[in-house]
Amino acid sequence: MEPSFDVLVVGAGCAGMRAAIEAHDRGARVGVISKLHPTRSHSGAAEGGINAALGNTAEDSPEKHAFDTVKGSDYLGDQDAIEIFTREAPDDIYQLEHWGAVFSRNAEGRLDQRPFGAAGSPRTVYAADITGHVLIQVLYEQLQRRMAEGMTVFEEYFAFRLLVEDGRCTGVISWDLMNGGVKLITGKSVILATGGVGRLYRATTNAYACTGDGMSMALHEGLPLKDIEFMQFHPTTMYPSGILITEGCRGEGGYLINKDGERFMQRYAPNALELASRDVVSRSETTEIEAGRGVNGSIYLDLRHLGAEKILTKLPGSRELAMTYAGVDPIYAPIPVRPGAHYHMGGVETDNWGLTEIEGLYAAGEVACVSVHGANRLGGNSLMETITFGRRSGQAAAEYAHGAPPPGNGGEAARADAETWVKSLLANTEGERPWSIRDELGQSMLDNFGVFRRPEKMEKQVEIIAGLRERYDRGIVIEDKGDVFNSDLTQAIELGYLLDIASCMLQAGIARTESRGAHSRPYDFPDRDDEHFLKHSISRWNGDGPKLTYGEVRMTQWKPMERTY
Amino acid sequence: MQVGLKIWRYDSKTGDRALREYEVDAPEEATLLDCLDLVKDKHDGSLAYRKSCRMMICGSCGMRMDGAAVLACKVRMYDIAKEGRVPVISAMGNLPIIKDLVVDMDPFWEKMRAVDPYLQPRFDQAEERENVISQPRMDVIHKESLCINCGCCVSECNSMEADPDFLGPAALAKGMRFVGDPRDGATIERLEKYSEPHGLWDCTRCYFCNERCPKGVDPRDAIAKLGAEAMKNGIDRDMGAKHAKWFVTSAKTTGWLRETELVPKTQGIVSSIKEMKFAMGLAVKGKVPPPFPPHVAAEVHESRALFDLVKTQGRDGAAGIVQGEKALGRIESHHAASGGRDPYTEADSAPRPYLPSEREETA
Repeated sequence: MEPSFDVLVVGAGCAGMRAAIEAHDRGARVGVISKLHPTRSHSGAAEGGINAALGNTAEDSPEKHAFDTVKGSDYLGDQDAIEIFTREAPDDIYQLEHWGAVFSRNAEGRLDQRPFGAAGSPRTVYAADITGHVLIQVLYEQLQRRMAEGMTVFEEYFAFRLLVEDGRCTGVISWDLMNGGVKLITGKSVILATGGVGRLYRATTNAYACTGDGMSMALHEGLPLKDIEFMQFHPTTMYPSGILITEGCRGEGGYLINKDGERFMQRYAPNALELASRDVVSRSETTEIEAGRGVNGSIYLDLRHLGAEKILTKLPGSRELAMTYAGVDPIYAPIPVRPGAHYHMGGVETDNWGLTEIEGLYAAGEVACVSVHGANRLGGNSLMETITFGRRSGQAAAEYAHGAPPPGNGGEAARADAETWVKSLLANTEGERPWSIRDELGQSMLDNFGVFRRPEKMEKQVEIIAGLRERYDRGIVIEDKGDVFNSDLTQAIELGYLLDIASCMLQAGIARTESRGAHSRPYDFPDRDDEHFLKHSISRWNGDGPKLTYGEVRMTQWKPMERTY
Repeated sequence: MQVGLKIWRYDSKTGDRALREYEVDAPEEATLLDCLDLVKDKHDGSLAYRKSCRMMICGSCGMRMDGAAVLACKVRMYDIAKEGRVPVISAMGNLPIIKDLVVDMDPFWEKMRAVDPYLQPRFDQAEERENVISQPRMDVIHKESLCINCGCCVSECNSMEADPDFLGPAALAKGMRFVGDPRDGATIERLEKYSEPHGLWDCTRCYFCNERCPKGVDPRDAIAKLGAEAMKNGIDRDMGAKHAKWFVTSAKTTGWLRETELVPKTQGIVSSIKEMKFAMGLAVKGKVPPPFPPHVAAEVHESRALFDLVKTQGRDGAAGIVQGEKALGRIESHHAASGGRDPYTEADSAPRPYLPSEREETA
């Protein structure tokens, strides 16, 4: 008999663990499965901080936080969701502090808050520049406490299919990495918290694990992906590795300069300068680089004027990263940075409780699109989203499970079917190995669907993806035929996810004939077009490719205005 | 650049073990992890290792290079390749190998869970807002909170090699993370628990954990802090605690370590009597200084003054531990070594930043 739970959480980053804790505390029997050990999840790599209007550094309010978020989203965020988000965020932060999160403190001993991009007040709570690490640790501490009370965590289980019976999601089918074998785990409700898909791009801040597993699994069960063309490019990722240098560097006063030393942001965002929103800064950098004012395809993040003490106390992790991966000590020299793929605003469409279109299936964190971030996310809002909407989805999934009947009997047949598929993958000995498809996809997405999107390049990218898809479908060779820790197998499956999401992104991107947030078409549609495109892209899988429709943006009190910083 | 690697391959199903050599063409900025990826892509898809963030924060890729634990993503290969060295890559120590470079981390996490790794709040009624705590008070656990659970310290732990039940450096550092947290209310219970057999007093102070930790957690310092906190709270029944206490007493009273008295003071009289034969043997060889009259150091007042000074400064407990400060020390010394450098005026300095509007004004 397969393991069965009230609530089954897939993914154990900040959103998944927060959801699991909430469901457990509401009396549900909770199982968590993750392809990594929970503390290896990519939430832990978040650096700069987490936004909540505590007002510890300067006057602030949830309304201000909401307005900044709506404006940052280029008015594509759903305003009711944003109001819930900013209203509930402060208590969620206090909860984390009570659990023991090791946040940085201000002179009064309260949680310190630093300025962040496009924020009207310093509202980013942080732990030096390892905020994500501190959150992952405190959440896993709480998870371990609950494991002693019966919560079960399946580590290094690679989920690759959802079990949907009679229109209701009742479990997942996964590959057991340590022991091999296709395993079924069921739940009366299921929460997807599998994170993003930054690995679509060769220059990305994202971990190797960020391959859009949950998005693709949902897509293949008929669920819509919302606003999937909106990929955020973070303005300060190191050359050439793509490793993230936090926005906190600019929050603490860092400059962006071109090869002449000019703080070019004044020409693009005369008021906010380096602290304009991320889409604006990434576009400005790209313009500078394309105009020949960069250095080796990068511009500089200059911290020299901050001095050694501030760098050592507030930004020690960034300094270590720069020294290790760029060979630069930021006390003495600027760090070469460029825009790199960072965060998917789009994802599986959910309501404000994380519920998807399928009964019993919830989603939270980067895999989901509520939407709080719209066309462009503000720095510090994603960690907060994982906590607040992780908690909400955990609550909703537990409440649903409380009154729900047990899963049906279809699980074993679905598992056997999945097992047949995995065996056929492993049995194939003709064709190419997946890595060149992966590398070509990553490089071409960067070239053709990056910060600026040109029509002819997007069309070309559609063809490239189709060609890669054909090569993938023709049969790829998995060299490792064994059961134990077969990452060759899981990486091959992940590549299929990447191809699925790329197709959806291109289709939605080409159809959106405007520039909004992270989707920028300066050569054919440079302006925002509220008349036609103040709406969500909705992508569904239709046989062998995506099908695009549109949905309404939920507005409450903020009418679209021109967006300047 | 051409990078050569010798990798210990292992198949837990068959028990086959073999050292295989690979050569890959890697970019100059490549890390060990990048090179393993190239081996897996271009040479052998069955090579098994863990990876995820590739930026020193997820803790997945702990392994050994030439016998010492490293994070593969933190090791730049340029210098090694240029020297023509071909390092040997193997799985971490003290943990069962599953396949190639992948170890079973369950024993690691079992130890972690044994220290109750979660806050046990001191406050009965949670504050409506955050607890107010000064930053210097939180700094006490700064290093311990940097731990990414990679297992490098456990891999290198000599004590754990001798006693697999030893709690070990990672779990004890996690313990200090809570003992040092002013919000935790279980300090005494924790110190009692960590002082049990296989606990904090079983560390042999080899300092390999401090040396090999890729994040500067300095687990040995954390263990020392736990020991000091235990004694401060009167939890000193363990032989290890008595042993340490005798060092202090001995140094304070005579300025020397009185080794002859060390055994009975540590083990107690009854247990020491059993060692009499061994002691007599040592005495015959002239290895036991006579206990009476005690040998008092000529400058014993210095040692006593030092003791008094530490007392008056209130440096008992964790605050009295002089820390290795490996990570911070390295950072600061690197900084000091290049101190006085002007970041703006050297030949290769990047240009001094200016705002476009400033140029317009001057123009």
